[in-house]
Amino acid sequence: MLHDEAPGQQAFEPYYRALVEKFCLLLVTMNKSFRKSVIVLRANTNPRRRINALRKLLQIFFVVLTGLTATNAQQVLRWGADPSGGAPYVYADPANPDHYIGYEKEMVDALAAAMGRKPELVPTDWESIVQTLQRGSFDIVVNGLEPTTDRAKQILFSKPYYVFEQQLTVRKDDDRVHSIDDCRNLHLTIGTLGNTAASRYLQKEGIPFRGYPDPVAAYRDLELKRIDGVLMDVPMEMYYARSNPSLKPIGAPFLRGTYNIGLRQGDEALKAQIDAAIDKIIRDGTLESILRKWNLWNDAQVDLQAPIRAGQKNDTISYDLTSVSFNWRQAFGRLGRAAMVTVLIAFGAMIIAVVFGLPLAVGQSKGPGWLQVLCTIYVEFFRGTPVLVQLLFLYFGLPAIHLAMPGWLTALVGLGLNYAAYESQIYRAALEAIPRGQWEAAYSLGMSPLLAFRRIILPQSFRIALPPMTNDFVSLFKDTSVAYVISVWELATAYRELANATGKFLTLGIVVSAFYMVMSLPLARLARRLERKMKNRQALQVSVSEVPA
Amino acid sequence: MIRIENLTKRAGGTQILRDVSFDVVPQSVLGIIGASGSGKTTLLRCLNGLERIDAGSIDLDDVRLDSNLPESDYRQRVRLLRRKVGTVFQHLHLFPHLTVLGNIIEAPVHVLRLPRREVEAEGLELLESVGLRQAAHRFPESLSGGEQQRVAIARALAMHPNLLLFDEPTSALDPKRSAELRSLLRGFVTRGHTMVIVSHSIGFLVGLADYLLYMEGGQAIEYGETNTILNSPQDSRTRDFVAQPK
Repeated sequence: MLHDEAPGQQAFEPYYRALVEKFCLLLVTMNKSFRKSVIVLRANTNPRRRINALRKLLQIFFVVLTGLTATNAQQVLRWGADPSGGAPYVYADPANPDHYIGYEKEMVDALAAAMGRKPELVPTDWESIVQTLQRGSFDIVVNGLEPTTDRAKQILFSKPYYVFEQQLTVRKDDDRVHSIDDCRNLHLTIGTLGNTAASRYLQKEGIPFRGYPDPVAAYRDLELKRIDGVLMDVPMEMYYARSNPSLKPIGAPFLRGTYNIGLRQGDEALKAQIDAAIDKIIRDGTLESILRKWNLWNDAQVDLQAPIRAGQKNDTISYDLTSVSFNWRQAFGRLGRAAMVTVLIAFGAMIIAVVFGLPLAVGQSKGPGWLQVLCTIYVEFFRGTPVLVQLLFLYFGLPAIHLAMPGWLTALVGLGLNYAAYESQIYRAALEAIPRGQWEAAYSLGMSPLLAFRRIILPQSFRIALPPMTNDFVSLFKDTSVAYVISVWELATAYRELANATGKFLTLGIVVSAFYMVMSLPLARLARRLERKMKNRQALQVSVSEVPA
Repeated sequence: MIRIENLTKRAGGTQILRDVSFDVVPQSVLGIIGASGSGKTTLLRCLNGLERIDAGSIDLDDVRLDSNLPESDYRQRVRLLRRKVGTVFQHLHLFPHLTVLGNIIEAPVHVLRLPRREVEAEGLELLESVGLRQAAHRFPESLSGGEQQRVAIARALAMHPNLLLFDEPTSALDPKRSAELRSLLRGFVTRGHTMVIVSHSIGFLVGLADYLLYMEGGQAIEYGETNTILNSPQDSRTRDFVAQPK
């Protein structure tokens, strides 16, 4: 591995102070030479001297620029963490939401102080945190990150700073489960944070599980009986579940593992500083007092800290953490299942949209005044708010009125109601495109309004509406991917979870795109064919209406 | 017996029809003539209930449509009236999604609920009588304007109306086709049909209409046998209109 002169590697304190002094001196001299160069540039007509002066000016700008960025990077320690549902690690202070709190926040403050750097939190998304670190959005990950072997292939890890264990939680009234093995035998679905040591353990043990983006959603779904248990690191379990009267812990915490700080590969110098800083805050008791304050101090921490305090090196403490297993056969199986869910949601939602859109359209254009207002409000609400927000509302909001639908049904109904608003507008336009003469001809043949609508108007408007409807269906098909926000195992979620767990964003991305294409291409082709057919028809109609009137 | 009494129609602030009264003699042709805007098309639309009448009444055999009827009764009477009145619109309004035969059998099958096979056989006979037997399974858009008009006539006749209304039937026809249409319609009259034809072309009505009604400014100015109206009109306004060079 080639070590370039990345600024982060040279942030030794004395060196840093010297650099600042040097920089100030530089500024003074630069100011002088800058003026001189400008004068030379203005007064002199000799082209060679002018070019020299220009080059000097450019050099000054360059030095100032690099000097500024270099000092900046050395002052700040950017650390990535996911504060959403992030208690007690790092999360927005409920009393003061602009302000982040948490035991890891306090720990990073202590570490940064020990390193003489200024900490800066970069909020990010937990599941893809390793990839975001690799992209360079921050220097280190401090977010209860477990040093699994698959991750160790991608990034560096500091020495451990915390030992966690897993706690299984079920509903208080559930007496089927007495251990994690019961979950496998009874085939119960267990929720956990996606892409964690717990999710890897469940996958390895063959226990059906569902990955959540944050612990709040997992415990809420457990309460709503959408899942049967939650396996979560003790810190989260303590904060989010222990005080919940409708939940109970099962057995003692198990499966020890450590939290380590993640760094980009090659940042060995920074790793050395971090390790030294961790040792320092362990030795001087800072970490212990932070953990005690957050009620996270226990025997496991004593096991971790005692040797270091006794002056031993203890770089070797590690627990065997399950690494995620990946093979393409299994991946295709999971993607195939996800594709089926996607198809189910898309078709179900389209049926709702097509069926429900029609009364909406008729109500909005032909109904009595109050119905028109009602339909318009419906349409504008569903068109004017993001479908993502609507799904979150249906999934987390409706249970408040005791209507807890499973995720896939929520997505199906939510997308259906949303697209009904769009379909209704297509229908309305199509209905209004039918000339009034068609109604009158039907009436004059003795038809009732309903019969005229059903036999004369509807079939004609259907032909007009079909191409945009097919178009909508294709886009609905892709919109099913928003169901990932409510943890439905459809294609986008599958991609996200498999790719986050394996780092195979590129290959899996191509495979998942192929899945979408294979399913949506026939639809797109159908849409094109219908459009062509309509066009031919219209051309014919134009030629007929050109008969002199 | 077809009698129109004191028919009045308003739209916004203006009176489009004022106290129009006349009779239609059964098994005859009545031509309604008049300049554009005289109210003749509106009168026709009142006769098949497409316009709500504001005063007066329409009697067609046993159906009486009176402007004073309560709304629900009025609507029911309009439905009854429409079953007895067939209309051939100026722009025809054929159903583009149905075949020629489909256009003709649509109402008998779904309004009168007659058996489809029976209605189809009759529809083919009707098409035969307008010379379009071979076009039964084509779509209207593939026919010429004159052929489409004959489909519209067959569609109206399929409901066995007591009264057949025509709005400007010659507007899209050349003189030769007009003459053909005239003899076709004359044939239907001899078979016992009653017709009201709105036309601005007196030439087309000569030799077809038995009676003429001249309208101006929403009023029925003069009514009489075709010869009387054309050769010795009583009212000076009628005289001015029929004296115009064609």
